[in-house]
Amino acid sequence: MPAVRMPAVRMKALRELVSVVSRNVRMILYPCLNGGYRPDPAGRPGVPGADNGIDVRNVSVRHGRRVVLEGVSGIFAPGSLTAVVGPNGGGKSTLLTVLAGIVRPHRGRIVCQALPRCRVAYLPQQSEIDRDYPVTVGEFVYLGLWRNFGALRAPGNDQAERVEEAIAAVGLSNLIDRRIGELSVGQMQRTLFARLLLLDADIFLLDEPFAAVDASTSKDLLALILRWHHQRRTIVAVMHDLDQVRSCFPSTLLLARTPVAWDKTESVLNEKNLARAFAAQ
Amino acid sequence: MNMSFYALMIGPFEGFSFMRMALVACLALALANGPIGFLLLTRRMALDGDVMSHAVMPGAALGFVYAGHSLFALSIGGFVSGAVVTGLAGLLARGRSRRDDTGLVAFYLITLALGVLLVAYFGSNADVMRVLFGTVLAIDVRALLQIAAVSSLTVLLVAAFYRPLAVDSFDRAFLRMVGGSGMRPMLMILVLLNLVVSFQAFGTLLAVGPMLLPAAAARCWTQRPGATIALASALGMVSCYAGLLASYHGNLPSGPGIVLAGGVIYGLSLMAVGLGRAAGTMMKGTTI
Repeated sequence: MPAVRMPAVRMKALRELVSVVSRNVRMILYPCLNGGYRPDPAGRPGVPGADNGIDVRNVSVRHGRRVVLEGVSGIFAPGSLTAVVGPNGGGKSTLLTVLAGIVRPHRGRIVCQALPRCRVAYLPQQSEIDRDYPVTVGEFVYLGLWRNFGALRAPGNDQAERVEEAIAAVGLSNLIDRRIGELSVGQMQRTLFARLLLLDADIFLLDEPFAAVDASTSKDLLALILRWHHQRRTIVAVMHDLDQVRSCFPSTLLLARTPVAWDKTESVLNEKNLARAFAAQ
Repeated sequence: MNMSFYALMIGPFEGFSFMRMALVACLALALANGPIGFLLLTRRMALDGDVMSHAVMPGAALGFVYAGHSLFALSIGGFVSGAVVTGLAGLLARGRSRRDDTGLVAFYLITLALGVLLVAYFGSNADVMRVLFGTVLAIDVRALLQIAAVSSLTVLLVAAFYRPLAVDSFDRAFLRMVGGSGMRPMLMILVLLNLVVSFQAFGTLLAVGPMLLPAAAARCWTQRPGATIALASALGMVSCYAGLLASYHGNLPSGPGIVLAGGVIYGLSLMAVGLGRAAGTMMKGTTI
């Protein structure tokens, strides 16, 4: 018996219309009413910009004997939008997994009110997900509500609508019953973002959100990220496209095993810093 | 006609209690092997399952040496050595790529050789054969109870923990992020328990067959997890019945017969799906 079950999705035009309208109304109203925050599942109103910063204190990580990250210290300010760039093997993805609480640092620690984890959302690279597992887009996105129903309880029926909304928000309504193994890379990325929407976190950690996706997907997903930014959520994203970083990300962390520069994007991404970071390869 | 059909299909089970015991034991095993096989295959851990079935052997052999044919000693020994070897293999695999299976294969060979040596040294050649290929027709009530208990436990636990088990197999990072613990240890323990109770029926070389073959066959027919698990159990039961019957009428060893029946079902499933796909593309070709 699959415990993650989607109630059958009926394509009723009226219901779809209502859901689209209500979604848009909520999208416009929520930032005004709640300071950018929806109440979390427990009913606690979010505190905008107060406790969702991340303080990284002298973090080092090793894989076996290889040092992947060394002496990373600094603060992701509350509500900041930071790009993490740097050479391959520079520890960008590792830093995110440490921030997400998935990997434990060898030395140092992360201080963050939003941890323990319940308000952090992490977007893994697609290679981390085994897409051969027979699960549909609807079921996959449903997992975003995990914190409402946990590992063992059945999700309530009233949740289905939120799942459909999230899937509609990333433009995949017509693929809701498709298996994730049949999606293109861009569609899979949209599915992952739909799940992030439901996680409704204060901190978003995104590992290469635009890797190998087409231009229109990348544009849609960037719009979602900027919306979160407007809502004063803290966002850290591993990025490759420096032009995109320059145009959309206010702050940048240039990472080559250890931070080369960490500041406003325009002051970080200069010739000298980039040469230093990429020469270390 | 009717009479001969009855004599052919049901007679052996009516006439001999050892056939009935074997059938019930295999049906119970098939019930649990459906979900376990499905989980192993979707996690790409078929080889791990194989290794674990051999890891059971040295412990079971020691149990055999110290307590003769005591089922309890065999089971405890098998479970302990299986757990130790699985843990060691896990440690060895840590920090290496998932595709690196050298360590697993090494364990598989070492444990198999060690087990055979132990049994051959302290027992006879017949004992070696018994340990390698099982004696499904020698299952008694105590063995049956053990099988039934493990099978029920497996089905209940997989049903209760299906969601974390599934998420753990396709998106481990997500499970950790939402605070779930890794499900691998629980799955490994369930696999091990099932292998230990399968040990008497199918032996160390074949125990993993009834676990993987029906699940592999079921995956040819459907993609939905629930349906795959149910079908895997059903096909496992069919292969038990067919294998036992064939071995009875052909006077062949039963354990290998059951595994071979599973193999035939898998082969037929592959062929049917291949034919279906070919027909599908041909139809498309003609209509367009």
